[in-house]
Amino acid sequence: MRILRFVVRRLLQLIPVLLGVVVVTFLLVRVLPGDPIRTILGPNATEEDAAAARARYGLDQSLWKQFLDYLRGLATGDFGTSIQSGASVAEELAVRIGPTLELVVLAVTTALIIAVALGIWSARRADRLGDHTVRIFALIGNSMPEFWLGLVLILVGYSMLGWFPAPSGRVDPETDLAPLTGAELIDAALTGNGPAFTSALSHLILPVATLSIVIVAPLLRSVRASALEVLHSEAYVAARTHGLPERVLRRGYLLRATLVRLPALAALVFGTAIGSTVLIEYVYSWQGFGQWALRGLLYRDYPVVQASVLIIAACYVIVFLIADVVQAALDPRVRI
Amino acid sequence: MADVRAARRPSAATTADPAAPPAAVIPVRGGAFARVLIVTGAIILAVVALAALLAPLLSSWGPEEIDPNASLAPPGGGHLLGTDANGMDVWARLLHAGRIDLGIAVAAVALAVVVGTLLGLIAGYFGGWLDDILMRMVDIFQAFPTFILALAVAALLGNGTVNLIITIAVVNAPAYARLVRAEVRSLRELPFVDASVLAGSSTVGVLWRHILPNSLTPVRVIAPLNCGWAMLTLAGLSFLGLGVTVPTAEWGAMISFGSSDIVAGRWWTSLPPGLMLLLCVLGFSLLGEGLQERADARRRA
Repeated sequence: MRILRFVVRRLLQLIPVLLGVVVVTFLLVRVLPGDPIRTILGPNATEEDAAAARARYGLDQSLWKQFLDYLRGLATGDFGTSIQSGASVAEELAVRIGPTLELVVLAVTTALIIAVALGIWSARRADRLGDHTVRIFALIGNSMPEFWLGLVLILVGYSMLGWFPAPSGRVDPETDLAPLTGAELIDAALTGNGPAFTSALSHLILPVATLSIVIVAPLLRSVRASALEVLHSEAYVAARTHGLPERVLRRGYLLRATLVRLPALAALVFGTAIGSTVLIEYVYSWQGFGQWALRGLLYRDYPVVQASVLIIAACYVIVFLIADVVQAALDPRVRI
Repeated sequence: MADVRAARRPSAATTADPAAPPAAVIPVRGGAFARVLIVTGAIILAVVALAALLAPLLSSWGPEEIDPNASLAPPGGGHLLGTDANGMDVWARLLHAGRIDLGIAVAAVALAVVVGTLLGLIAGYFGGWLDDILMRMVDIFQAFPTFILALAVAALLGNGTVNLIITIAVVNAPAYARLVRAEVRSLRELPFVDASVLAGSSTVGVLWRHILPNSLTPVRVIAPLNCGWAMLTLAGLSFLGLGVTVPTAEWGAMISFGSSDIVAGRWWTSLPPGLMLLLCVLGFSLLGEGLQERADARRRA
């Protein structure tokens, strides 16, 4: 009950923040040099053509009127019409967000599991060979440009070994997968489409691996530092001196106390991962949210930029909210 | 977040920034290990910087010189690392690119440190409404993933060396402002500041002589790590066509230009520039990690 009240209050607090984001993005996209109308009309269009197109997208109205129209649309879930494609932004968004969320969530989860397992393993061998090896590999992973790592994995996994499919798309079109959520793996599981499931999985492995390798280092470092601290805490030393069995020590004393600090950092890493997917989707032709938002930005497609910035900001703050709730669940000292 | 009480505070302080120092751990032989890290990082960076400076002596081709007889020539023969699709020598471009990559990254971080420190000093020392306004602006900047912010600013400013330096500096400055502000706020309460004020020092004098030198300690640790991050951002922007563009020699742009070769199994156009980036960022990370380890060791001593 308490958690529910906390969540509701925090969600209400989000409204002014997101409203601020809406206002700032609305003004900033219009400050960007470049004209979205000119990019769709091409070089031969006359002034009249441009004026007509501008009127079609409501860009001839006063800024104030445009903003009110935009707000009114938002309230009813209407993000406007894409200037580039002429399609509804909300519909395009619905198709694009699933694949990206699938990629980011899988990668962050993989990175978290690896970080927790290796971090604790590393802390128990602090300053020995295994520990140093793990830390150096994490450091190297963190120093790589993610788009380059993606290319290297393609070179090895596709061009040389031929184990993975070509980096174009998310599922083999021949499997006739019916799109439901846009996240191919989930769609295939829901429709019981076996071949599509394996195809989606094999398309996912390289991008997910790329993203997790790049983001695992800060998580690993944090887990290792926390675990070291716990291992030398009075509570843990006392528990061990009392001869508690190894299993109880690990589960009850080490794991939970180590994880307490992880949620906030994981939320931050999630944000980094959103930034990285723009590059990784580009490498793997993922055709997800990142590529869509990037193209919107490059062509100054106002409604697309506004919608994608709003979605990123909303995701970011909601992930931090989840992190706070998880932390409260892990740490009895935190009251929400 | 106001309700999350005291217990949250230490963790928030250590986890808010991935580059922040890890919580003080048990005393390990910090000094010696730190020195190894710092020396290794410095050697890597020195070698890359030297290679970039001496690039014309180390390669027989110019960075943008086209060999009309060789397009996508494999390594060996007249071209040490082969040529790209334009017929430009990969080895020559690799060396020359170090100038622009290291140059932009270091300049951007230097600019971010100067601007961020200035804002942090003002906000922290004077407090009040000025502090409120500056910190709310920092909040807005930090409400977005940094690379996304860099993309937006790059789209706003356009490319060109100076604009890229400004883009990367703008994205990084808020973190320094926050860091320095926190330091200044605690320094301001210390007796030696009061003493200096009572002795008749001007505000600028107090800030410059007493507050500034002491508030830079955390900045010194973060800045090298940040240089590595700045390089990756620059390369990422170039990869997407928002940064440096071909034919200028820059590692991210080289990787981007060679990316279609990768699928065809031609490794020499994209692999080497990525390795150079990896090497440089690793150099900066080792340097930063070493400085951090040393700072931790000092704190424990």
